[in-house]
Amino acid sequence: MRSYLPVARATYMIGLVYRFGFLFAIVGNLVYLGVAYYLWKSIYRHSETLRGLTFNETFLYVGLGSAIFILLKTYADWIIHYEIREGAIAMYLTKPIDFQIYALFANLGSMIMNVTVLTIPTALIMTLIFKVKFAFGPGLFLFPISLLLAFLVSFSIDYFIGIMGFYTESVWGLSATKEIVVTVFSGALIPLQFFPEAIQKVLYWLPFQAIYHTPLMMMTKPDQGLNIFLPMILVQLAWAAILFVLARLFYNQAIKVLRIAGG
Amino acid sequence: MSLIHIKGLSKHFKILNRREGLGGAFRDLFSGSYRTVEAVADISFDIEAGEIVGYIGPNGAGKSTTIKMMTGILKPTGGVIQVNGLAPYENRIRQAQIMGVVFGQRTQLWWDLPVIESFKILKEIYKVDQTTFDKHMGLFNELVGLNALYSQQVRTLSLGQRMLCDIAASFLHNPQVVFLDEPTIGLDISVKAKIRSLIKTLNSERNTTIILTTHDLGDVEALCQRIIIIDKGRILYDGDIKRVNALFGAYRTLKLQIDNFTEATLQTLKDKLTECFGAGHGITVAETEEFWTDVTIDQARTPLSDVLSFVMKNFQVIDVRIVEISMENVVRKVYDGALG
Repeated sequence: MRSYLPVARATYMIGLVYRFGFLFAIVGNLVYLGVAYYLWKSIYRHSETLRGLTFNETFLYVGLGSAIFILLKTYADWIIHYEIREGAIAMYLTKPIDFQIYALFANLGSMIMNVTVLTIPTALIMTLIFKVKFAFGPGLFLFPISLLLAFLVSFSIDYFIGIMGFYTESVWGLSATKEIVVTVFSGALIPLQFFPEAIQKVLYWLPFQAIYHTPLMMMTKPDQGLNIFLPMILVQLAWAAILFVLARLFYNQAIKVLRIAGG
Repeated sequence: MSLIHIKGLSKHFKILNRREGLGGAFRDLFSGSYRTVEAVADISFDIEAGEIVGYIGPNGAGKSTTIKMMTGILKPTGGVIQVNGLAPYENRIRQAQIMGVVFGQRTQLWWDLPVIESFKILKEIYKVDQTTFDKHMGLFNELVGLNALYSQQVRTLSLGQRMLCDIAASFLHNPQVVFLDEPTIGLDISVKAKIRSLIKTLNSERNTTIILTTHDLGDVEALCQRIIIIDKGRILYDGDIKRVNALFGAYRTLKLQIDNFTEATLQTLKDKLTECFGAGHGITVAETEEFWTDVTIDQARTPLSDVLSFVMKNFQVIDVRIVEISMENVVRKVYDGALG
């Protein structure tokens, strides 16, 4: 593991090289927060709570969702697909590294970068400009753990799609579809509570809710007991492990095909 | 026991026959006929530790495929391949530790970061200890003055600087064998010379085995004691460079652009050359591209300068170029039995 840390450090540094991108991302988030604020304000005009959430809670959920959106979007699918297409993958195959762990750490570096320059400023904007109140409770402390697990789930899905590049010339369609599915079914745009009951039931059985819904609920309603939070974390952990192993098996299979069919 | 042992190695690819046009592309979606391509048909050789071997051949000869099998990227269809006693594709991570690879068209450096960061990453990936790392970095600096480049972003390096860094990086972990695939491609003469001397010094300092594939016969001449020529997946020649040297070392092609050129000019040129230098002058004349006439000269028999001054005196020459014999011509000459 120690040998991969410099990789995370390197991608963190690359983030710093392109520092102006973040300025635009923050401005973008500011605009999004403004729109979301007035949209949800009008939805909440006649009622104090909807689906068990107050306006403050819903806006906190949605706003924080936009703050962590960039973290959990790993772009691993695009990067890996590109490397396969361009044949750059050969570079990795001649090095004593495990490609999946390598890719994971590479993404981890840019994720941590994003926390410092995007998530924290966006959260500050929410409290200072939109006067969102953060509640206090054990959820606050579990949030970082949950976020890391969410990142693992998201990474494994993206990595899996990237590996498809061995079989298909373009993963554009797949990636675009995945993007929409993840954004909607994970609760990144709207809290899952707002979906119809029947759909909610299905969504809780899918891995996507582990990406946004779980960590965001910990911040939205942090003052709940561990009997609520612990199962949520365990479900995330299970999905992270399952998807990581599945992606690994898929990679091993793809590499075997590559070794025989050539590239 | 030789460092690299290859016997009866072959690699076949299955390739989908693409049909023509839009309709054909649709039909290819559902069914397709495959044809087998023999990228490597039957190759055997042994390479000892410390050798620099030139592995050459025209485009599509199977060079890259062989390199990919030696580095463990591809699994052979048949035959035996062992590097340091182990099959590369079965022991990839362990084998990668004793190999260094440079693909001329790609870089292993981090594009967006200063050069030194890539070296630091490689240090951890290959688990190079600090003392060795410092020693090697000192050596690289001594050889090509890399210190000056360390703080530069890789993307801002020139192609030659990048290649020097890439080659140095491939030697960082003290590998037993380094594969250099077209290391001088697209570089000018002075940078080529720098790269050649770097390779040569690293080879002699660490006794590192080097397998060099290239299109530039100058590289081979400057670096290798032994040369393996392959074409169509088979070995044409494997042996001392001196014999092959006689083939391309002595030959130069004089490219001429002659004023008012006609078919007759070509014939006159031929006749006059024979008249002046006598039969068995070792000169062949052919029109290659439009307006250009190629006069290939065997310098062992007729000095180039004599031919040049003769042509200049007797013909209205607009432009002249002198080029080394091409890889394709060497291969053709080998086919023609030039090496016996």
